[in-house]
Amino acid sequence: MINLVRILLRFSEKVVEQPITAQVILEHGTPISIVAAHVDSQGGEILAEVPPTHVDKLVDAFREKGVTVTVPKLIEVDSEKCFDCGACFSLCPVSAIAFKDDFSVVFDEKTCIGSPCGLCVDACPAKAIRLVEQQSSGLTK
Amino acid sequence: MKKLVEVLTAEEMKKLVDSSGVEVAYKEVDVVTTGTFGAMCSSGAIINLGHSDPPIKIQRAWINDVEVCHPGAAVDLYIGATAMSETRPFEYGGGHVIEDLISGKEVEVRATAYGTDCYPRTKLRTTITKDDLNQFHLLNFRNCYQRYDCATNSRDEIIYTYMGKLLPRFRNATFSGSGALNPLMNDPDYETIGIGTRIFLGGGQGYVIGEGTQHDPENRFGTLMVRGDCKKMSSEFIRGAAFTKYGTTIYIGIGIPIPILNEGLAKKTAILDEEIVTDIVDYGIPRRSRPTLGNVSYKELKSGAITIGDKKVRVSSLSSLKTARKIAEILKSWIENSSFHLSIPAESLPTDTVCNHMKQTEEIAFVNSVTQAAVTCTEYEEIETVAKRIITHSVNHVIVTDEQGKLRGIVTSWDITKAVAKGKRKLSDIIIRKVVTTKPDEALEAASRKMAQHQISALPVIDRDKKVLGIITSEDIARLLGR
Repeated sequence: MINLVRILLRFSEKVVEQPITAQVILEHGTPISIVAAHVDSQGGEILAEVPPTHVDKLVDAFREKGVTVTVPKLIEVDSEKCFDCGACFSLCPVSAIAFKDDFSVVFDEKTCIGSPCGLCVDACPAKAIRLVEQQSSGLTK
Repeated sequence: MKKLVEVLTAEEMKKLVDSSGVEVAYKEVDVVTTGTFGAMCSSGAIINLGHSDPPIKIQRAWINDVEVCHPGAAVDLYIGATAMSETRPFEYGGGHVIEDLISGKEVEVRATAYGTDCYPRTKLRTTITKDDLNQFHLLNFRNCYQRYDCATNSRDEIIYTYMGKLLPRFRNATFSGSGALNPLMNDPDYETIGIGTRIFLGGGQGYVIGEGTQHDPENRFGTLMVRGDCKKMSSEFIRGAAFTKYGTTIYIGIGIPIPILNEGLAKKTAILDEEIVTDIVDYGIPRRSRPTLGNVSYKELKSGAITIGDKKVRVSSLSSLKTARKIAEILKSWIENSSFHLSIPAESLPTDTVCNHMKQTEEIAFVNSVTQAAVTCTEYEEIETVAKRIITHSVNHVIVTDEQGKLRGIVTSWDITKAVAKGKRKLSDIIIRKVVTTKPDEALEAASRKMAQHQISALPVIDRDKKVLGIITSEDIARLLGR
């Protein structure tokens, strides 16, 4: 299985009404899967997954069309602080948080959608959850 | 070699009774250990600093900027778990101070005083660790709830409560407590638990010193008052915590050994999660008696999903079942290797106390006492017509309803002004459809908090079916409360 790269697309009020994502897909013939999206007339955000071989090209294409492209922040759990209560469990919309048989709380980083969501962060009584910038290629420029 | 004493954790006991029956379990088992690890707000620690030179009779004191109580003589302080730091409120509090001291960290003590002939000093600043304290005792006045409500939220917005973060419209629920592992649940008639019962407390050994405040045995909401030496505790089992927008608290680990003195206790300690039922309560209604939406067993709660109405809802535990289990295991090993001795209580916990409501001598105002008839319109009316109605009735808010009088939205005089300025013609384009509302029996204080949070000046008053009953405005509230 290829590890898809997650990119976060931000659409300003100016460009939000244009079908940019569809245009990029058509122009490059590359599938882009949309993991999460929040778009309204004031602008919006799309969390997308793209094939690693096409990341640079697609990012350039989006940027040319006035979209801000960044890497999503992902959840990081401080295991020293976490005391496995599970207050975060019911807040996760994508079921990235689960209990093991011994009631340890585990995070599935691959499922977590990160900064477009972040619902669990302020629900943690131990304040053990943070949204962290991911290290990646030249995307963070 | 035969073991001197047969100890099982409560979970092991349930399995044994299930496979071999109560009679066998009674004959074989001497002690059952229990455990719980959860947020226990009514907790704190008493410390004695020793005297300074020249001496001070502390009037006010802070540790790491958290104000601590000074209820007694010169240098005795009580660190309340929920007191919040003045520089980092909602983030760091008394619970964190206690945890930091237990883990050996240095803390800063500041104090002020009025000065007397015998205690002339008026200011003090020093740093200390737990080794510098004469006494450092956990002294908790309500811990270890037998069970607790399951919380959810009917409102249209996220609320932050002492039961954690609750998503809108029943999209999640939370619960607390270890269910069948809970100490009091395994001895529900308090046959073995009372004043003087030696317990696992925060990783050390402590004692039950009585029933806790709000102890309500009849409703299976028993609580404990406990004490223990913090210097022998571990920060693994005493943790400061912060509930966003609610405040700081402390997580405490408690384990109680239950000697199986009779067959009845063997049966009681076999209680299962499915036999422990609690209410699902709507924390969206901030009243003393919050509406109950049904009930649920701890088995369902621990499964991660419950049913509210016909909806499947994910449920979070606020207490740590993993740590509760670990506590029961540690207590078991302590008893087995004779480093923990069971004690006979000097007095049993009461089984007949009740938890009464507060006597209130001042009338509390509710929304219905300031509700006015609402000026309404339908969404098909002309902007001009609505503008005229605003002038005729001299109001700022017009509530949009449908044919049945149900809420569809709201229009303010400001919206109309804006529409005119921008040349908008249709009323439906300017209606605000996401409306913050109130109900007749909501406390006025709660309603006025809503207005402040959303920076609005009126709320439509609706019933359960969203039918509009009237409107309340911030001016009416201000008039009534004399603000």
